[in-house]
Amino acid sequence: MRNTMKVAKWEVKRNLKNKSFVIGLFLTPILMVVFGFLGNLMGGDTSDNETAKIYVHDELNTFANLEATVEQYKLPFELERTNIQEADVEKKLKNAENTAYFFIDNRAFNEGTLPFYTSEDFPESISSQVQIFTEAVKLVQMQNLGLTEDQLAAVSTPITIQALSVDELGENSEKEQAMDQEQLMQRIVPGVFAGVILLSIIFTGMMIFQSASQEKKDKIAEIILSSVTPGELMQGKIVGYFVLGLVQVLVFFAFGIPFILWAMNDLPLFEYLFVPELLLFLLIAVLGYLLFAAIFVGIGATMSDISTAGNFQGLVIMIPFVSFFFIGPVASDPTSILAQVLSYVPFTSPVILLFRLVMLDQWSWVEISVSLAILIMSVWLFMKLAGKIFKVGILLYGKNATPGEIWKWMRA
Amino acid sequence: MDVLLSVEGLEKSFKDKKVLHNISFDVRKGEIMAILGPNGAGKSTTIRNIMGIMYPDEGKITFHGYNEIPRNKIGYLPEERGLYKNVKVIDILLYLADLKDYPQKKAKERALTYLKKFDLEGKEHVKMEELSKGMAQKVQFISSILHEPELLILDEPFSGLDPLSQELLKEEIRNLARNGAAILLSSHQMNVVEEMCDRLFMIQQGQKVIYGTLDDVKMKYANFKCTIRGKNDLEKIEQIPDVQRIESKEDSTVLYLHKDITPAKWLKKLPDDMVINELVMDRISLHEIFIDVATNKNLLLANEQMGEGDEHA
Repeated sequence: MRNTMKVAKWEVKRNLKNKSFVIGLFLTPILMVVFGFLGNLMGGDTSDNETAKIYVHDELNTFANLEATVEQYKLPFELERTNIQEADVEKKLKNAENTAYFFIDNRAFNEGTLPFYTSEDFPESISSQVQIFTEAVKLVQMQNLGLTEDQLAAVSTPITIQALSVDELGENSEKEQAMDQEQLMQRIVPGVFAGVILLSIIFTGMMIFQSASQEKKDKIAEIILSSVTPGELMQGKIVGYFVLGLVQVLVFFAFGIPFILWAMNDLPLFEYLFVPELLLFLLIAVLGYLLFAAIFVGIGATMSDISTAGNFQGLVIMIPFVSFFFIGPVASDPTSILAQVLSYVPFTSPVILLFRLVMLDQWSWVEISVSLAILIMSVWLFMKLAGKIFKVGILLYGKNATPGEIWKWMRA
Repeated sequence: MDVLLSVEGLEKSFKDKKVLHNISFDVRKGEIMAILGPNGAGKSTTIRNIMGIMYPDEGKITFHGYNEIPRNKIGYLPEERGLYKNVKVIDILLYLADLKDYPQKKAKERALTYLKKFDLEGKEHVKMEELSKGMAQKVQFISSILHEPELLILDEPFSGLDPLSQELLKEEIRNLARNGAAILLSSHQMNVVEEMCDRLFMIQQGQKVIYGTLDDVKMKYANFKCTIRGKNDLEKIEQIPDVQRIESKEDSTVLYLHKDITPAKWLKKLPDDMVINELVMDRISLHEIFIDVATNKNLLLANEQMGEGDEHA
């Protein structure tokens, strides 16, 4: 165990001192944040940041109602009273930006329309939002008709048609919907978190593969093995690259979390993140890493050079990414047979299971337990096999092992 | 001298091929023991079994009489050379010493001393890939002795080194032996073996061929031979007494002599009319014994047995 930690420490130290590793470490998150930032700047133009100025020529005394509406729906409008005449509007608007003039008078009752003059660049999305003001105007009309309070309330309550599917029945109150929303976030945030960890450590884990075959190529394996057992060397590598993966994750979040907080103003990220589900997600991520690390380290030991990797080795490297081919079908129906089967297959289960748990609001604990049990057994089995392959393969200089040879080592 | 490492009845097969047959020898404290043999004879396999990198099918390897091989007391320089490329010299030296449980501070001091000794002063912060092949090899040698091993296994330590570095290395190896380390050295350079080793073990096709002290081996196998340059009739040469075997090539003739001749007396028996442009009288070298064994001719051994037989007859 001590030797394992020594090897692990060395792998971590060696890589952190390596310029290309360090550059890679920071480059990916920086690029992501930069592109995210640019995207936000470009996309942010239309709605969020700018408010439109609307001058209201109010003859029906509805201004207070309008303001209340703006407040209630958090509309991006700034309202102001004006006494300007309709004839002068055209001239005013010619040089104005994001400005509109709204005339509220008896035409609403006589003709059923209200003129809303806008400047040239006035965003269309806002024009459509303006329709909401009709309610306020309608209210004035009702009052003028002399309806009682009750009648008024009855008439002014809008009727909407709500589509309800069977599975939503019984939980359709607004409060519950809000809770639903929150529960979803409580799954998505930790799910994404665990997904990022899983991906980062898998990518870093692929370096194990390089490390093992490089050690063969540099012929240092024999020297190391004169001090430690093959098992210790292998475990040391797996632990070492796990730590490197976590370093990558840390750097990732050091850039990512402030960015997310900035991009989505009031998202209570940490409240959503630190929920019990996170532990399960992290367990899946770690198991996934161990499984793929075992595959990488075993296969890496059979090759003297990545560039001469045979088809067989190439295929094995692709295994962790097979899951992503199925993301689409699983996303469209997370409860399908395909999705269930994929969460039992050890090569796909870490990614697919994680993904499904985020998608599904009802978890089948039986399914999760079976899936985890299969995964844990596979990790154990693949570690054993990788150990056997590693022991022989790492000393086999100058040639790549054939699948036949690997099969023989595994049975030894 | 104390026996430090003892190998008994080692057997090993790869697939269906047996590569080691009943190999037994020991290495004692303070001696330099050579393990010799042509390529593919089984030297490296033997060494890997001692190092615990491979496990023998049969046989026993003991260290100070214990079955457990203490890896941190063994230094190993494998034949296949290489160290991490993009790593600083001092970092790799310290890492390898750490794997041997050697204190880091002491390792650093010793590393700097040895780097200086091998003309690598100031190279400790240079990356391995920037060193020349010879320099890298010296670093690797340092890595194998940094932790003060009791047993040092050197597989072809001199290959690829210039004569100056070879001398430095030889001196250091002798030094280590004088200080009590047991050294197992594998080499193809017979002159080096003759010069340095106390005992030798020669292996061919996985089997022991010769085992003993250098003097014993020489006494036993290295008869005198006489090389004469000059054109002479073969008939005439064949009449010279005490000759085991004659190798004739154009103008030069090599006469392999019987074991117990006295050179001065024998020389007097050469015919007066023999054409001699040049005459060299020396013993059969280890090099020749090696080639003889490696080419599977076993002429020397066979002839010697015949010679012994002749004498007894």
